[in-house]
Amino acid sequence: MGKLPARARRAALGVLLLALLAVPFATSGYILRLLTLLFTFAVMAEAWNLIGGFAGYVDFGSVVFFGLGGYTTGLLMTKLKLPFVAGWLAGAALCTVFAILMGLLLLRLRGHYFGIATLGTSFAVREIIANWPSVTGGGTGISLPIYDFPNSVFYFIMLGLLIAIVGLTWWLSRNRLGFGLVAIRENEQAAEVLGVNALRYKVTAYALSGFFIGMTGGAYAYWITFIDPTTIFDVGITVEVIIMAVLGGAGSVAGPLIGAAILTVISEILNAYVPNAHLTVLGAIIVLVVLLIPNGVIEYLTFKRKLSLKSIGATLAQTRV
Amino acid sequence: MGFALVWGIMNVINLAHGALIMLGAYVTFWLFKIGGIDPFLSIPISMLALFVLGWLIQRLLINYVVRAPILITFLLTFGLELIIVDLALNFFSADNRSVQTFYAGQHWELGGGDIIIPQVHLYTLLVALALTAVMQLFLAKTRTGNAIRATSMDLDAARLVGINIRQIYALTFAIGAAAAGAAGSLISLNYSINPGAGEFYTPIAFVVCVLGGLGSISGALVGGLAFGVIQSLSQAFIGPAYQNAIAFGLLVVVLLLKPSGILGKASS
Repeated sequence: MGKLPARARRAALGVLLLALLAVPFATSGYILRLLTLLFTFAVMAEAWNLIGGFAGYVDFGSVVFFGLGGYTTGLLMTKLKLPFVAGWLAGAALCTVFAILMGLLLLRLRGHYFGIATLGTSFAVREIIANWPSVTGGGTGISLPIYDFPNSVFYFIMLGLLIAIVGLTWWLSRNRLGFGLVAIRENEQAAEVLGVNALRYKVTAYALSGFFIGMTGGAYAYWITFIDPTTIFDVGITVEVIIMAVLGGAGSVAGPLIGAAILTVISEILNAYVPNAHLTVLGAIIVLVVLLIPNGVIEYLTFKRKLSLKSIGATLAQTRV
Repeated sequence: MGFALVWGIMNVINLAHGALIMLGAYVTFWLFKIGGIDPFLSIPISMLALFVLGWLIQRLLINYVVRAPILITFLLTFGLELIIVDLALNFFSADNRSVQTFYAGQHWELGGGDIIIPQVHLYTLLVALALTAVMQLFLAKTRTGNAIRATSMDLDAARLVGINIRQIYALTFAIGAAAAGAAGSLISLNYSINPGAGEFYTPIAFVVCVLGGLGSISGALVGGLAFGVIQSLSQAFIGPAYQNAIAFGLLVVVLLLKPSGILGKASS
């Protein structure tokens, strides 16, 4: 896309959007489900990218917002009989507040410590939800009311969220907040010296990340209508989201989306053809990606780097001992 | 302990540690099932097997990304974990297995039956203590141990004085894997095992290392003991349901208050 003139790019984007809007009316339920799932993960990968890619603070607990969003939506709908939209927004609001509080505490930690602390938090929250049956339904999970509208509604919700977060990220990438975050990633002390209020920037990015993942979690819970602590707080979701962002290109606008698309499709194909070796192949892909294209495929797609043995060798030479 | 070593020396958080523990447990299980070898005697064998595997993993994969950001090594070891666990699922099946020795149920009673000490638990503790002591001595007294510590302090300086970094890293990871193998053997004696069991142990290794102080071998032991005591106490006073929530909550609190851990030195 890097070589196309701006007008052609805008036209291509418009055509793509129209095609995506038309999808539910033209395809099978299977494709619709797959695309909805793809968008779900794409939103989360983009949301993770705000803190993990731009600010370089590797969040290993993103799933906590997914679970909290899902559980808040589910509980408000089942216990208080609130309509979906109310529960959904409340879930997203809770996630935002939780992200701000967590961020104020944990974003003071650097490097691994932040990663471990977020991982620990996501485990702790999962355990609390799983062991508080009087409020959360405990380990047995909760069943949400069955919706009486077509699934395509969820397709549009996820698509809407995706457009919103890609738009936000694009705006961020050419705005003071985005520059500040990148400065923090490259050298936090230097950024502070230049007048970036590092903690405020990081917490803002983290809150946005939490908000979007919370929205996704709430909609996802209503979509699949059943949630329990082990599946919706699965640390595997966090990792999958990170892999997507890295595979596509962390810190870029379109990278996480591209990564999500690639990984969801590969995963679907593997599930269909080699169900037994699915995770082995996925693991091998992860290993190869981080060894050979640690900066993501976006570098190649935008012609910043040529796909050749030499460039891959150069990447390896930088990091090996 | 192995986790602490790999983390402290190479700055690599090994997410596959749990999977390696699981493999160690299976080595012991199969040797017991097929060869009738006593689990305590098979500890050296599972350590050796995991040592070789760990050496290969480091030499062929992790050495290439040691200088990369932490995220990359994190993901790499997670990918390895997926592969190991999935292969184990396919080859060993998902069944729960356990090692049943003739002394499994035996115990000593102290204080007129008030205190019951299962023999296996005591032996396990003794082996763990012995392994920690050996590791500590190895790092402090031998030439290779010193080379490992020097590498962790300053990679480039270590290279300047003629240490072969690639070999040292491979060795360090191999020793870490061997420790995981020993842990697996000990675990198979006390708990039933399945291919997914490791997933449970990696977070525990995390908590233990952070509690004790990163990269400190004796710290790992202190952290392990602290973890056990905290779990039992919270089980007794708050109820078993929240023991893991408290353990992980504690992890976060320790990170915030004293990131260098109980035995760790204050970091700059």
